[in-house]
Amino acid sequence: MKPIQQLLVAVIPLLFMVGTALAHNPVFSPGPHVLFKEGVEIHAGADRSKAGQKEENKLGLELTYGVTGDWSAGIELPYANVEEGSHNSNGIGDLRLFTKYRFWRESTLGVQQSAAVFLNAMLDNGDDKTKPALGSGSTDTLLGFTYGYESLKWYRWTSIRYRRNGENSGGLRRGDKWLVDFALGYRPTMPVYLKPDTVWILELNGERGQRAELNGSVLNSTGANTGGTEWFISPGIFWTQRNFAIKAGIQLPVVSDLNGNQAESDYRAKAEFEWHL
Amino acid sequence: MKKSMLLTVISLFWSATLFAAGTQYNLRVDGLACPFCAYGIEKKLINTEGVESVMFDLENGLVIVKAKEGVTLTESMLKQLINDAGFTLRSMSEQPL
Repeated sequence: MKPIQQLLVAVIPLLFMVGTALAHNPVFSPGPHVLFKEGVEIHAGADRSKAGQKEENKLGLELTYGVTGDWSAGIELPYANVEEGSHNSNGIGDLRLFTKYRFWRESTLGVQQSAAVFLNAMLDNGDDKTKPALGSGSTDTLLGFTYGYESLKWYRWTSIRYRRNGENSGGLRRGDKWLVDFALGYRPTMPVYLKPDTVWILELNGERGQRAELNGSVLNSTGANTGGTEWFISPGIFWTQRNFAIKAGIQLPVVSDLNGNQAESDYRAKAEFEWHL
Repeated sequence: MKKSMLLTVISLFWSATLFAAGTQYNLRVDGLACPFCAYGIEKKLINTEGVESVMFDLENGLVIVKAKEGVTLTESMLKQLINDAGFTLRSMSEQPL
């Protein structure tokens, strides 16, 4: 075992978390893929989102380790730049620890169906005193389930996630959120090992957020510009060659029903690079 | 005449020694649907002592493994390695090289 693998074996299980956005999973939603046993994934990603006056750019570096052929774990270190009107903040965002366990796998010739559960923990290390804030100021958790069908030609995935937000030092708790995803992938040409491979992806992503709470009480409608529903249509691409992958996509809002007076999402974009070792 | 026959025999012996070495394992693997994911199989197999090369025929779900002479890869070992990579070994055959 190589030193980096030994380090990851020692550290990651202690933190008890394991792998998320891996391999042939959709761009904006999770899929059931995990890393091979003792494999390491280095993942670098850039996210950009715009909603009214608020623009957020994030660079993230992820490390994932394959504990078994069906269980992986990792950590993400984000660096964020947030602009809101005339205010601007830069710095380390909230660390994310993640684990995923693929509990079911059914394989036939050229086809694999599988399902997984996953858990993410978003820590409160990011600075929430800056304006705009870089961190949430609370430790949040996300629990989810995902199913995927993968063949040489077609892919389909679905997932459901629930995000439970913690309370910050001021007693404010952002509303919990449900996220639902449906995705379809199409590979136009038969894949050949060591040759470049392209899969086109189309996702439908839904989010429903509850109202925020202050000291345990739900903020009433007079001051509650929080929560609501948004749906996005998200075209994307997944390009790979051997152990390198590039993913990119854009989320465009198609339905926006937000509580109170909130800026609707204009778009969210993402580009990622993955390297399996 | 005797000299040319002797050269022929030596050549045949030499070529047999050179090429009739090792074993090719043909593995039928289920779930092989993308080359990026297949890398896990390559990584697991190529790190196995005695394995010289690993090739894939994704359309037919085939993994072709060439091993050095004297090296035996058992079915249980290969099944475990394929499983650790996230796939299922359905069947296998072997032939001398």
